[in-house]
Amino acid sequence: MKIDRRWLARAGATLFALALLYPFTALFARIGAWQWGEDVRGPALSSVRVSLSLTTAAMLIIVALGTPVAAYVARCRTRERLLWQAVLLIPILVPPLALGILLTLAFGPYGTVGSWLEHFGILMTNSATAFVYTQVYVGMGYYVLGAVAAFDAVPSMLQKQAALLGLAPWKVFLRVTLPLSRLGLAVALSIAWVRAIGEFGAVIVTAYYPSGMPVQVWVNLQSFGLPAVMPLLVVFLAVALPLPWLVHVLAQRRRHA
Amino acid sequence: MLKAHIIKKRRELTVDVSLELERGQSVGLFGASGAGKSTVLACIAGIDEPDDGLVELNGLRLFPPSLPLHKRPLGYLTQEPGLFPHLTVSENIVFGIPKERAGEEDKKHWIETLRDSLQLGPLWSAPASRISGGQARRVSLARMLARKPPLVLLDEPFAGLDRQLVRELIDNLVVWSQTVGFSIIAVDHQAEVLRRLCPQQVIVLEQAKIVQRGTWDELYKSPATPLLRSLLAPI
Repeated sequence: MKIDRRWLARAGATLFALALLYPFTALFARIGAWQWGEDVRGPALSSVRVSLSLTTAAMLIIVALGTPVAAYVARCRTRERLLWQAVLLIPILVPPLALGILLTLAFGPYGTVGSWLEHFGILMTNSATAFVYTQVYVGMGYYVLGAVAAFDAVPSMLQKQAALLGLAPWKVFLRVTLPLSRLGLAVALSIAWVRAIGEFGAVIVTAYYPSGMPVQVWVNLQSFGLPAVMPLLVVFLAVALPLPWLVHVLAQRRRHA
Repeated sequence: MLKAHIIKKRRELTVDVSLELERGQSVGLFGASGAGKSTVLACIAGIDEPDDGLVELNGLRLFPPSLPLHKRPLGYLTQEPGLFPHLTVSENIVFGIPKERAGEEDKKHWIETLRDSLQLGPLWSAPASRISGGQARRVSLARMLARKPPLVLLDEPFAGLDRQLVRELIDNLVVWSQTVGFSIIAVDHQAEVLRRLCPQQVIVLEQAKIVQRGTWDELYKSPATPLLRSLLAPI
């Protein structure tokens, strides 16, 4: 009997996907009744608020600072571009815990910047500010590198045509570059979002308080055990993942349309 | 009036070309592939930067120093239509016209003339990404002319189009260059296309240098080099 190769490949891909999704079956593991009492629910919902609001603030900063940097890097010649990309990779490649320690030492009360900011009442550890700047450091490299790729995909001849039609560089950016790269930028932002909202290693060092969702998951695990972790885990997955997942699916659909 | 002297190093060759053009005049740059024709055009447009020389248009210095692209009062058309795919045909055509000027009566009339002459009416609201190659060339021509630039640079914009369409586009361009008053510098490797587009004068380039300039009759009568003779000969 002859087996269609396409079906064989499809079966292999299905097995691969099942293996990839297998860990999520743990949501149905027999660990006893899930706990969602007041002592669990209160801090859990508070951590959801912290994560959503402060990660949103971090994303706004990332977009505001990262977009012009990415636009600049995308226009650099190869050698200079490699240099900038190498710099952007550093916070991505440093292990999160190490990054957290470095950030605390650099921005904490013993660092030059941290002690200077403390004079103005800005606390750079265990504060909303600490939470946000840590997420900015964690997510910035992902966003900028993704945004550079998105800007690269816009044909430079279109930008030159727009300029020859009388548009100043900033208008070319707003009317040609940005609309043509918006999907790529959305994908880059969604990656930065997922990376930042799920960050644990760096955040637990710089901002144990206010506790975001990953830190709260860890606290619940330590204090109450798995039954108190699972409800928060479900909430975590439900609020953090659908938006970036949708952006990716839409981007792929548009690419193959 | 355009005054241009372009010096541009390209690997072993150095392009060295000078030309002058009065308002409403046209000149064709003719020669084999790699002769440096497109380099001259790109340097005048500002897409490429000369290594030395001078470019002035109606008293405005384009080079040196290199004037930013958006301040150059010229139109540049290549084989690649370069339409903005996220806009409609009409949005592409009025792209370079400031909103406050788009409503002016003469501007509106000129856009309507372009739309009707280039048969763009049925495409007016279509997304630019959904039209055919020939249609896209017509749209890019209209977009370039919408601002009525005093100088129009054409780098083989009709390559690959059917002869009927090429004839129509060229005849429109020649008429408009007189009525609107813009000058044309065109590059093409087909002598018959270039002669129809720029009937007044032609400059022949070989190995990045000018080897002959004059009228088309002179060119056909006594071509300066064997290569030129072979380029002008029927296939």
